[in-house]
Amino acid sequence: MNGKRKIRVLLAKVGLDGHDRGVKVVATGLKDAGIEVIYSGRHQTPDQVVSAALQEDVDFIGVSNLSASYMELLGKIKGLLKERGMEDIKLLVGGIIVDEDIPLLEKMNVKPFPTGTKLQEIVDYIKANA
Amino acid sequence: MGEIKKTEKLKEGYEQWEEKLKGRPELLDPDGKKYMTDSGIPVKLLYTPLDLEAIGFDYSRDLGFPGGYPFTRGNREAGYREAGIRTKQYIGFGSAEETNELYKYMIKEGNQVISIAYDLPTQSGYDSDNPRVLGEVGKIGVPVCSLEDWEIIFDGIDLGKILVGSVCNAQASVALAWHICTAEKQGVQLKDLKGLTQNDILKEFIARGNYIFSPEPSIRLVADMIVFAKENVPNYIPIYCCPYHIREAGSNAVQEIAFGLANAIAYIDRVLKRGLTVDDIASRMTCLITGRHRDFMEEIAKLRAMRFLWAKIMKERYNAKDPQSHKLSMWDYEGGIGFTKEQPEINIARAAIAAVVGALAGVEDIGLCTMDETLGVPGHKALTIALRTTQIVMHETGIGNTVDPLGGSYYLESLTHEIASRAEKIIEKIDGMGGMIKAIESGYPQTEITKSAYSYQKRMDSGEYPIVAHNTFRSEEAQETRAFYRAKPEMIERHIDRLKKLKKERDSQKVEKALDNLKRVAEKPEGNENNLMPPIIDAVKAYATVGEICGVFREVFGEYKEITGV
Repeated sequence: MNGKRKIRVLLAKVGLDGHDRGVKVVATGLKDAGIEVIYSGRHQTPDQVVSAALQEDVDFIGVSNLSASYMELLGKIKGLLKERGMEDIKLLVGGIIVDEDIPLLEKMNVKPFPTGTKLQEIVDYIKANA
Repeated sequence: MGEIKKTEKLKEGYEQWEEKLKGRPELLDPDGKKYMTDSGIPVKLLYTPLDLEAIGFDYSRDLGFPGGYPFTRGNREAGYREAGIRTKQYIGFGSAEETNELYKYMIKEGNQVISIAYDLPTQSGYDSDNPRVLGEVGKIGVPVCSLEDWEIIFDGIDLGKILVGSVCNAQASVALAWHICTAEKQGVQLKDLKGLTQNDILKEFIARGNYIFSPEPSIRLVADMIVFAKENVPNYIPIYCCPYHIREAGSNAVQEIAFGLANAIAYIDRVLKRGLTVDDIASRMTCLITGRHRDFMEEIAKLRAMRFLWAKIMKERYNAKDPQSHKLSMWDYEGGIGFTKEQPEINIARAAIAAVVGALAGVEDIGLCTMDETLGVPGHKALTIALRTTQIVMHETGIGNTVDPLGGSYYLESLTHEIASRAEKIIEKIDGMGGMIKAIESGYPQTEITKSAYSYQKRMDSGEYPIVAHNTFRSEEAQETRAFYRAKPEMIERHIDRLKKLKKERDSQKVEKALDNLKRVAEKPEGNENNLMPPIIDAVKAYATVGEICGVFREVFGEYKEITGV
């Protein structure tokens, strides 16, 4: 990671779920930790997320989902990142993540931050993996 | 003379008591920094009649009698002796068929009001076969594309007897049409039809996130429903305001009721412009609000303050004449925000305390998030436990034997007064901004809610805000995996096949004509002569889908782009 440049993270609510308390808290927490955050808001499609990531030249994409549609949506995002040669961008997911999906997510190279995660854990992970 | 003497004696006693604790500032907390309510109101170590005197407490003005203005002590003269707490769980999942079975089961177990959980595609006005709804069908509620699905859900459930509420907002007008058409087919007279639609669209912009159109056309639909309901389904509640979601999104208790009331004010102002009287709407508006286990005295005070402020606003601001307009009936729900993923069974204890909160505040309806709330959609067992919890509080504790049992508590009355005063200041601020729609457009409530949510998170992470099993008293034992509901792919497939079949077999000319007519009316300016409800009902009767109806609105009104407030 180039030390001159701030770490850039795109946060988005994917799918139709509107619960944005968590993602906004994370956005605020990351900003307070000196990370550049672009929050693109609710109801984002995988295509919108990947396009925004390209445009904003981010190091991480963090998606929030509390409606159990994250597996399908992350699969789609992964596919689009590969298609567009953006596989160096790291993926994070937060929200209500079912325990049995965690190994599947890890296999997909997506870092899950389920309900109950401390802000510092997310900050530390991003800083360590940038 | 006697009164003055008594007060002096009381002051003397208070000073003597305080004197004994003089060297213990950590207990007295004189600056109110350590002990405070969830909303940040300083809490004194002891409350006495002196505190009520300090706020100029006046029994007749501030409390009155149950069933009378200002309704602080409750809406009914005889409280729960007159009618017990109604159980009202938010339920629905998978498919129309599974939800039909689930409702029959919950009714059998004693759930009195059904509150329909729709899946997100339905709530967003998309059909289940739209590519935009990837991964969402049947996940967090029941998918409903057309009247056919509603008919299946309520097959064998008498809509003339069972009270049903639709939890939806952006497409609430379509849900009202489904309810009316299904009830009509069952032979229910529309003038007798009871039911509810949530329809509090403004809180979607600041909290829950299921809007489709921008605030202006959204509120036109709300007004159309209220005007239509008054004329056609006079016993139906076409809107209930939802401080609940504002709290779950991160606000504190004071902001919860202030923003919730400011939204209600916006609806009332709009329908007054449409020629209704305040009594036409206020007498039929109810409310969904949180009643949490956490800091439960503040919660009880908040629920009482909400009733008090509603009554005051209706009487003083709107000059409402009908006493029914001064009463705000409340559906209190323990939200899932205070629940832990760790040891989910302990959430049953939290929910039980929350049910006590609602009962002590004299609310009409109670629903409880289930122990599995933090994990996924609850199955039968978790739902039944939540239902049984409210039943225990109603039938075993004796809370209902007397009205407002905590009324008169020096602490509770001080808090009720303080919460109401603080909430009034926020409402004044919103008035100053030109009302809630303007405030939302400026991002004010969104930013306030996020600030508050962030502060909770930081206190939670630091351990300053204790949460048992999460940041204190953590269990070292491995967690048991819980069985909760996950949508069955074969049921979703069956649902989508049915939708395809419907689209093929219905009278397509009739559908087209109904949708054209809907578009024509939607393009006209808002007004009673251009009410959208009749053409929506015609389209629903022709089995036009929610995606098609909302598609017309998307075309005419456009979609809303949010102000994130971050």
